Amino acid sequence: MGTKSSNSVLVVDDNQDLAENIAEILVLHGYAVVIATSAEEALPKALPQGPALLVTDFRLPGISGAELVRQVRQRRRHVRAVVISAYTDDRTVAAAREAGADFLPKPVDFGALSRILDAA
Amino acid sequence: MQNLTFFANIKLYVGFTDASSAALRELHPIAVPFFQPIVDDFYAAIEDHPGARQAITGGAAQIERLKQTLIRWMDKMLLGPHDEDYYELRARIGRMHVRIALPQQYMLTAMDRIRVRLLDVVRTRIGDDAAKVERIGTAVNQILDLELAIMLETYREDLESKHRNAERLATIGQFAASIGHELRNPLGVVESSLYLLRQHLKAEADVPAVKKHLDRIGAEVVRANKTIHDLLDLARNRPPQRRPTSLRELVDSAAEAALLPAAMTLHASIPPELTLNIDPDQTRQVLANLFINSSQALKGRGQIWVEGERSADGDVRVRVRDDGPGIPAEDRGRVFEALYTTKAKGSGLGLALCRRIMEAQGGGIEIEQRSDGASFLLTFPAGEPG
Repeated sequence: MGTKSSNSVLVVDDNQDLAENIAEILVLHGYAVVIATSAEEALPKALPQGPALLVTDFRLPGISGAELVRQVRQRRRHVRAVVISAYTDDRTVAAAREAGADFLPKPVDFGALSRILDAA
Repeated sequence: MQNLTFFANIKLYVGFTDASSAALRELHPIAVPFFQPIVDDFYAAIEDHPGARQAITGGAAQIERLKQTLIRWMDKMLLGPHDEDYYELRARIGRMHVRIALPQQYMLTAMDRIRVRLLDVVRTRIGDDAAKVERIGTAVNQILDLELAIMLETYREDLESKHRNAERLATIGQFAASIGHELRNPLGVVESSLYLLRQHLKAEADVPAVKKHLDRIGAEVVRANKTIHDLLDLARNRPPQRRPTSLRELVDSAAEAALLPAAMTLHASIPPELTLNIDPDQTRQVLANLFINSSQALKGRGQIWVEGERSADGDVRVRVRDDGPGIPAEDRGRVFEALYTTKAKGSGLGLALCRRIMEAQGGGIEIEQRSDGASFLLTFPAGEPG
């Protein structure tokens, strides 16, 4: 747990409870967090300006998490993104990486997540 | 049709009676001197033919053994008794042909060679009694028709069982994938809420009465995640990734993965240098599943033996047996089918997965008949050395 209050994270998951829990844990780790439950809701919070970190579910209603990462990073190259998913097949992982994100399987290992975010 | 067994039914159909059995017994002493030339001719034909030959991987030594087996086979065919035990024994031989993947057409033509040669003996060695020649010749034809029917039945059984299995695994796969993924989200919420609860409770999380329940929730979430992981593994059907693997080390790590209770003793008898070119993760799962089955059958108290060796034909055979109650004969044909279980709490996935893993590696798994305990034989084909 550090003092990273200058670092803010946008958390996107269509399961609102999970999004809130991830947010709460990240707050405990010293991050400021914004939540969205779809990519459509997340885009205006990320563009043209927004948190430097993005944690998003892969399967979302409408625009996918990978597509969200791609669109955000197209305009803001420095945004560090992590795609999380219950689907751990090669296609999902490859789609996340191609969009420029790290991949973490669900259930999320919060130690691994904070290591990725801290390195940003 | 009344409730006749398969064997009783085809005996009726070909007209095989006690008189047929008696006629074959009559032929036995006359035919015995011709067994060896018949067998030599039989295997000469197989060796001459590439398609049939490839089912025999063990070279001259194996052919010699198979010849002795065929002599005993003919001996038993003529002597009988042609009862249900006879059928069981023949069906086992048929399943062996299935296991070594002898194509059906060679089995058929090979059987026909035996028929021609035996009828030749009947025609030339019985004497002038035309009625006797006719009677014994008919019995020979009848018994060989029965043998054919049994062989074909084993091929059919095998095909049906594999087909049923593939269908079930595909269905399970679809269900498993959708349910598994769906469950990961609520479990993720439970897990993260548990984490947060611990943070909020601070020192109170260590109060024994509280800690006990927090720990239980945590442990059960881990267990549920493991089940989902296994289910998704089954659904994914990943092709084997082979690498040289020490069988002895693999057995040790499988025993660890099986989390055997302290009262279960595992005796491994495997040459230290025995190395296989296999998928270690999948094969470990096969061994661990067998260990878990043994442990459950033994209610957590008993012995497991693992014996592995490379046989003369280059195949590696690994026997896993226990001193438990064994597998009832009526279940043996079906225990490898997906969703078939004899356990109160079994999913019916373990042995189906074992079979799929072994067959994907070009090997096999079968149950061995024993009076004491259950015994599984894993076969890994010779292939390139590890």
